[in-house]
Amino acid sequence: MQEQDDTTLVMAAKADPSRFAPLYELYFNPVFRFILRRAGQPELTADLTQQTFLKAMLGLSRYEPRGLPFRAWLYRIALNELRMHWRKRKEVVMDMSYAEVRGMCEEMGITKDDDELHQLASALGRLPEDKARLIELRYMDGMSFAELGQVLGIGEDAAKMRTHRVLANLRTYLSPRA
Amino acid sequence: MKQRYRISPEGRPPEPTDAEIARYRDPERLLYNYQRASHLMHRKPLYKDPKAFMALLLIVLLAWFIAEVVDKEELPSPATFERPAP
Repeated sequence: MQEQDDTTLVMAAKADPSRFAPLYELYFNPVFRFILRRAGQPELTADLTQQTFLKAMLGLSRYEPRGLPFRAWLYRIALNELRMHWRKRKEVVMDMSYAEVRGMCEEMGITKDDDELHQLASALGRLPEDKARLIELRYMDGMSFAELGQVLGIGEDAAKMRTHRVLANLRTYLSPRA
Repeated sequence: MKQRYRISPEGRPPEPTDAEIARYRDPERLLYNYQRASHLMHRKPLYKDPKAFMALLLIVLLAWFIAEVVDKEELPSPATFERPAP
């Protein structure tokens, strides 16, 4: 239903850019929160969100709704904007809450004591960028495998398989438990 | 760029409410930026405008001519060359 609505709104915006406003109103908050979880600062997030929507407007003629929901397309642009923003930085710190890593801990079979969580945080930091992105989308943003696949441009099964591989990878980074 | 993770009970500061996020919404600025960016994207390159092309050509020719004249003036005549002492 939402996808149909999006398609109608996208078609209208493609015909007349001034009619992009409903899409902007609809997706501003989710995109803002998505960026804020990574950027941390509201002012910076506002700039990056505005930049994301500007890129979306400029590239709207190339967007094809088949198989790719508009929301996932916006998240892709947002991730790209974040990457562009961070490329000159030496280090980026990402904060995660206990609630966000709960699912990951359960799937990996690790307890949530401070020592293990500290090890998990450093193991996450050792992951290559694409794998870390996968973990963030799955556990920080709470995306389903289908949504995750749409954002990364892969199928649902591939998203599931890659996530399990990354978790297995993380397990090897964690020191063996006594 | 190195990415570091911090896991704590509360994680990040609490997320702003919808009303707080709405303060950052600015559709007019977005449309203005879009119009400016699309104008720049679709701007005709200077060399494709006949008048601008002629002006550019004239400037290039003038610069070449001046460079040639200056080169000729600076070139020492063969009589002024000093022969090395034997």
